[in-house]
Amino acid sequence: MTSRLKHNTKWLMAPQNFAGGIALVSIAAMALWLTRDLDPGTLSAMGSGMLPRILAWAVGLCGVALFVSAFLKSGERLERGNLQGPLLIILAIFAFSATIRPLTIGPVTTPGLGLIVAVPLSIIIGGMASAEARIHELVVLSLGLTPCCMFVFCDMLNLPIPVFPQAAIEIFPDGWSAKSILRISALVMIAAAVAIFYTGRQPGLADRGESE
Amino acid sequence: METFLSNLSLGFSVALGLQNLGLAFLGCLVGTLIGVLPGVGPVATIAMLLPITFNLDPTGSLIMLAGIYYGAQYGGSTTAILVNIPGEATSVVTAIDGHEMAKKGRAGAALAVAALGSFFAGSVATLVIAALGAPLTRVALMFGATEYFSLMIMGLVLAVVLAGGSVLKAVAMILVGILLSTVGTDLETGDERMTFGLIFLSDGIDFAVLAMAIFGVAEIMRNLAQPESRDVVRKPIGRLLPNREELRQSWAPVLRGTLMGSILGILPGNGAVLAPFASYAMEKKLAQDPSRFGKGAIEGVAGPESANNAGAQTSFIPLLTLGIPGNAVMALMVGAMTIQGIIPGPQVMTGNPSLFWGMIASMWVGNLMLLVINLPMVGLWVRLLKVPYRLMFPAILAFCCIGIYSINSLPTDVMFIGLFGLVGYLLIKCGFEPAPLLLGFVLGKLMEENMRRALILSRGSLSTFITEPISAGLLIVSAVLLVAAIIPNVRKGRDEMFVE
Repeated sequence: MTSRLKHNTKWLMAPQNFAGGIALVSIAAMALWLTRDLDPGTLSAMGSGMLPRILAWAVGLCGVALFVSAFLKSGERLERGNLQGPLLIILAIFAFSATIRPLTIGPVTTPGLGLIVAVPLSIIIGGMASAEARIHELVVLSLGLTPCCMFVFCDMLNLPIPVFPQAAIEIFPDGWSAKSILRISALVMIAAAVAIFYTGRQPGLADRGESE
Repeated sequence: METFLSNLSLGFSVALGLQNLGLAFLGCLVGTLIGVLPGVGPVATIAMLLPITFNLDPTGSLIMLAGIYYGAQYGGSTTAILVNIPGEATSVVTAIDGHEMAKKGRAGAALAVAALGSFFAGSVATLVIAALGAPLTRVALMFGATEYFSLMIMGLVLAVVLAGGSVLKAVAMILVGILLSTVGTDLETGDERMTFGLIFLSDGIDFAVLAMAIFGVAEIMRNLAQPESRDVVRKPIGRLLPNREELRQSWAPVLRGTLMGSILGILPGNGAVLAPFASYAMEKKLAQDPSRFGKGAIEGVAGPESANNAGAQTSFIPLLTLGIPGNAVMALMVGAMTIQGIIPGPQVMTGNPSLFWGMIASMWVGNLMLLVINLPMVGLWVRLLKVPYRLMFPAILAFCCIGIYSINSLPTDVMFIGLFGLVGYLLIKCGFEPAPLLLGFVLGKLMEENMRRALILSRGSLSTFITEPISAGLLIVSAVLLVAAIIPNVRKGRDEMFVE
């Protein structure tokens, strides 16, 4: 393996441009394939396919030029990065979009759990992407940040974002207004964040704080 | 002159209204708050805060966004001086001497000179915009589809020429950006283009989604891949007011920087990004003892910071008069204006003068506020700088998700920032810069529309772009610039300038 890598670096002078060229050519190929049925029209009456196809060819050309230059001119190496971080970030984003409100993909419908679940979920999953992640810190962060988001976006700015799980809304008594429920639960979360933050400082109690 | 004054007084009557004053204040404050976080540049800040301006009236929302922009810029300079992590290209220069000053316990003076210089530059730039706004708008009204198309070509060419790095890669990114802008239903024929048959793609890719994906999510992925080294200044901040000696050394660089920034910012490519580099090089040449530079010379902060701020502000000129965004931030402003139902261009000034002049006047107000709120709050910013990235990025991620969801209430939009973010990250890994992509994306729709219109008028003859005199002139300028950028000698000089 190592000998092959060494061999590679001899004729492949700019691995970054090599990869970049391939990326551009594949973008171009995908665009050309997707626009295969569109009518290019004529110059005096341009159809919907003309510009995308011209652009795709131009992108492909840039890709080929970059690809060729990788063998002629020395350039930057391709840095090795692990994919775990980016994948966890994407997972966090998907978790947010699947839980914020009911979402139907094919036969599956996700339950709408609202901001109060989606934000902590995305913070904890996303937070794990860092090599120095500590679950305890992330729990405190999510419990502290979620109520702030609820106050700013749902209470002050009145943006139409579901806050609570749909099932939970029916549990609350009729007389309560939505805003007061929001404020009370936000305050409870902040109190929980403070409590976990302080219990977490004592080593013996940290585990209990996490498991809750 | 009289109309100039009456326009400005109209502007100030709008900008000094209680609500707009409050919005400008809030914008500056929140902008600085987010912009000061290391690794978060102005583009990401604006993209993240875009949703909170949606519920405002158009004038208020633009005033607030402009405030966020200045705040983020200033926050970026603070980070550059105190932590040596420039949030974007334009504060790279500030970090060189500013951080050295901070290491010597003169952070207070560096921050104060940066703020005072920026305020002066901002005031001058406001006057420049007010003076040039009306005549340039008249020029713009003479432009037809042909001229617009050529102008946009020139803007994109300038963006390529002025950016650092490979010309080929920048061109490729612009082309990919334009290609992405063609996704969705074609307005003239009603054909679905590259939508994979998905309903939520038939409206095209949302601008905010793309911006947040490549400047928010991809940026997080890039930062996570690098081990964090943060060099927060441990020395005391020092006096916050520069002494007489420091003021004497700074006033001339501030003047020169302002002049340079104002001129470069007007260019319809990303001219503003060049201003701090040019100013730094100039101060170094003019200095009696150039060896002080890089070791904490106050001129190296005063000049580039003024140039930076002046350029940031005059780059509104191409947007407000011609409707053409010069850089990624202006592209975001186009997005914000479109969401508010305003089509940027010369008709804004004639059709909606209170919005146009109100926004210009609020630029000055915003600069004043930055001066008033930033210096006393330095202590708070320093504490924010100590928040570790492992806690910062999950919060940024959550804000991005909420922000995108609140635009259209579509969970699929949120998924897209993940997908585009990954694509953006892979492109960054291959050495591509994301900013040209965004610029191409914003100009793409306008370009296609104008190209079609021009070709219909000329009955399908491409020669119309060369036979119309204005259009021909613009294209010749672009061709000369592009060739110049590829010629090895010029290119070497350009790269050296960015390295310095």
